Amino acid sequence: MAETLEEDVKTNPQGDVISAAPTPPKVETEKGAAAQRVVDPDYLILQAPREKTFITGSEAAKEAIRRSNVDIAISYPITPQSETMQQVGYLYAEGYLKDYYRAEEEYGVMSAIAGASRSGVRCLTATAGPGLMRGIEAIASWPGARTPAMLLVMCRVINTPLAIQPDNIELSYLLNTGLIVLHAENQQDFYDYPIIGYMVGEKPEVTLPVAVAVDGFFVTHARGWVRLPSADIKLPPRACYHEAVPMMDNENPPIRISRDAPIQKSNFISYQMHASWQQETWAAAERSRKWLKRWLGGLVEVVNPTAKTMIVASGAAVSQSREAVRQATEQGSDIGLIKVKSLRPFPHQELIEALDHAEKIVIPEFNYPGWLAKEVKNVIPRTERVISGPRVFGGMSMPTELLLEYVLEGKKH
Amino acid sequence: MSLATVRVSPGFEQYLPQEYYDLVKDSQFVSPRKVSEMGSFKELIEEHPMCAGCAMTLFIRTMYVALPSPENTVFVGTAGCGRLVLSQGAVPFIYGNYGDTNAVASGLKRGLGIRFADKPKDVIVAAGDGGLADIGFSMVMHSWFRKEKFTTVMLDNEVYGNTGGQESGMTQKGMVLKMAPNGKKFEKMDMIGLAKTAGVAYIARVVPTNPNRVAATIQKAVLIAREIGPTFVQAYTSCNIEYAIPTPKVMDDAREVENARYQFTEYFSDDAKEYWDNIVVEKRKIKGSATVE
Amino acid sequence: MSLKGSAYAVLPGPEGLLPPSASVMGVVLPEEGEGLLEGRIVSEDESMEAAAIALLTRKNPTLFPGPLMIWGWTEHTREKSSPFFEIAHEIPGVRIIPMPDYRPIYPKIDPEAVINPCHPNLTIWHNKIEACILVGLHCHFANVTLKMIRAGTNCYTIALCAEAGHEDAMASVPNVGAEKLYKFAEALRRVKRNGVKPLYQGHGIIPSGWAQQAHLTGADIERPQEEVHVGHGLSHELERGLDENEE
Repeated sequence: MAETLEEDVKTNPQGDVISAAPTPPKVETEKGAAAQRVVDPDYLILQAPREKTFITGSEAAKEAIRRSNVDIAISYPITPQSETMQQVGYLYAEGYLKDYYRAEEEYGVMSAIAGASRSGVRCLTATAGPGLMRGIEAIASWPGARTPAMLLVMCRVINTPLAIQPDNIELSYLLNTGLIVLHAENQQDFYDYPIIGYMVGEKPEVTLPVAVAVDGFFVTHARGWVRLPSADIKLPPRACYHEAVPMMDNENPPIRISRDAPIQKSNFISYQMHASWQQETWAAAERSRKWLKRWLGGLVEVVNPTAKTMIVASGAAVSQSREAVRQATEQGSDIGLIKVKSLRPFPHQELIEALDHAEKIVIPEFNYPGWLAKEVKNVIPRTERVISGPRVFGGMSMPTELLLEYVLEGKKH
Repeated sequence: MSLATVRVSPGFEQYLPQEYYDLVKDSQFVSPRKVSEMGSFKELIEEHPMCAGCAMTLFIRTMYVALPSPENTVFVGTAGCGRLVLSQGAVPFIYGNYGDTNAVASGLKRGLGIRFADKPKDVIVAAGDGGLADIGFSMVMHSWFRKEKFTTVMLDNEVYGNTGGQESGMTQKGMVLKMAPNGKKFEKMDMIGLAKTAGVAYIARVVPTNPNRVAATIQKAVLIAREIGPTFVQAYTSCNIEYAIPTPKVMDDAREVENARYQFTEYFSDDAKEYWDNIVVEKRKIKGSATVE
Repeated sequence: MSLKGSAYAVLPGPEGLLPPSASVMGVVLPEEGEGLLEGRIVSEDESMEAAAIALLTRKNPTLFPGPLMIWGWTEHTREKSSPFFEIAHEIPGVRIIPMPDYRPIYPKIDPEAVINPCHPNLTIWHNKIEACILVGLHCHFANVTLKMIRAGTNCYTIALCAEAGHEDAMASVPNVGAEKLYKFAEALRRVKRNGVKPLYQGHGIIPSGWAQQAHLTGADIERPQEEVHVGHGLSHELERGLDENEE
């Protein structure tokens, strides 16, 4: 009899039991959700004691969301993102979130986030590559609507031929939407940045959505050391009535609240208002600098600040660059590295100062157009110092040997 | 009832513009009003740029009066004529991207449900035939399949009016319009049938020839969405400009269309029927319900 | 690295079609106890006194209470009413013109009755306002409004903000609740005691809104002969109105 029962149990390739009945939440995790206490963001982000764990990027994001007091998460599968929002689904089943659903597709997801954020709750979604492109009409409307939310982006190829490989060309599209965009280097960042992002984006003078991007697979599906504080603490809830716009809950004035005013082809609303509105959206991102500096420890990290050759990188390219710096140091060369943590707002002043002495600036990237090199050249003087490369794309990895050819051997293309 | 947002702070009453002074003294926020009283009290909509004689405007005015709880209602719309008047209403209005209404409303309704678990918050999508049946189709259908508890009102003028008169999926077959130079090639979409397939709890097709019926339909749709599941009202709101209907003949056209192909129909799911029958019995006890005969 | 001490000065306009947002020009928001004055961080007292002097000495001073001031939706809002009117009574010849909402009012605003973020300059131009306070607006709409006023008018803008303050105003104080509003009324009294002579004599608030339409009186103001020069920067056909249906 027992043998028959065992044969009837269906499992998926990962070994999870497939059943029509919802999996009962584990008792101890239910306790965990209920036992969480709200702490000051400074404590959670900067001061709380931490312990080292060895987890994937997706699991790191899950641990961030567990401690972020998120109200609603809206998911839609796409590789390499799916793993993270599945993990968040488990958090919902365990009582850490109040609502969660799998939506129709990314435009529906991003629009639903716009609605949920207007209601005053803390929201989460995540996507990757083609999903970001599908959702970007809605995403680009978030900042002007001043809707705080967290968008996790696990970068992958968007060009034909279709592929799921890592490539962060999609970020070049995201950079002009008005979102705050942070680029995580590793699993540790992918834990820290979402928590910081929520707190920065919900500051009244900022009131903006935040994207935390990470290079797919290299970080999402690989394990790394992550220092985590206790799971029984979480962020304070969203304080929506302090934000820059009224909530669409019919609880705060004004009642005639066409907050997202339609701009007309007539004189009863001025085009100048649209211009001023856009300026204000970008101004709001500027105001996030103060808080990003406080919680990220600066918009950039500088390694070997006096080296004459400096690498500037963001995301997974930073990890490769760190290794290249180590190898170069072993060979007796002094190479520096600037990690750009925040792409929006862009650390223009920091780069000007940290690169002032540099004679050669190497910018490695995981995309064909080289958007980071363009960004850097746009803000620093003497751009002839910049070598826009090495660049790999379409899923290629970036061997440190390749980086060293650019850094030490004068390769330029 | 939450009327704090129309409570004037001490000393500010005499600095209110006239429209707001009237609104706080003599409107639905002061006491429920009947459709038959329209014109004798301050309505929730202010001056708006809709065309003279527009049937859609009459429908929307009636819809405002019929709201069971305007102080706890949020409208969601999209591009199209309707938002020109919705943006002047004394009910919060979200004007989103093209065709995103039912996704926005899904997130909004769920968020409001999290924050106000003990207080019904009515979310109403009011958008055109193009916004709901064409560009927003997938999100409309999925919100119904997911049983999202909000009302979808289609302002069906059978044309893209705001962009200048192009064919929509809800246009009658054969109509010659912009982008249909030889006449529309396929039938008007059966959104009523699709709503049934998707399991919508209350479905109604209505023409604004009878304001009391419009009001009763909206009330049913909002209250059933509050408790049971998604509701859908498909309203014929002709475009007198693009269909060249003389302004004085707008209601004649509505009657003709109603008799020919747009008869009033309504459909209740079993749950909705049971719920509504109870409401009819206890109608007078419903808090905040406007009186509609 | 600090961006404090930015060279950009936030001064009365008209600055032109599209002035930059001060934040992008490096102006940063004040901390508690501080204020902003023309783009510089100063003490709260200094910011309040400069604002008080502008209100007392510039033409047609006006208070623009926003939705969060007009509508008494919380106890916190209602308690700000009393100090608001105390401020008004310290400014001879003051007007109160509300911003009751943010919608694009159709067909056009009555500039004597309201100010609207879709075209705040119309109200400033019409009433020849050269000093104003914005209080009780949501921050987004305050900033949208402040830039448009700086673009096209010579109005000295003061933002008394319940949150972090406003770089786009000439003077701004953060975290303003009832207590700081009382403090601002006291700043008005202090600068008068210290010898600042108000432009107008008398007392009372010039009526607006329905009270004005009903010819209710409220003020007893002696107004000097004035010839107001408002920069005409963008005061063109917008005020007269365009053809509604023009493409």
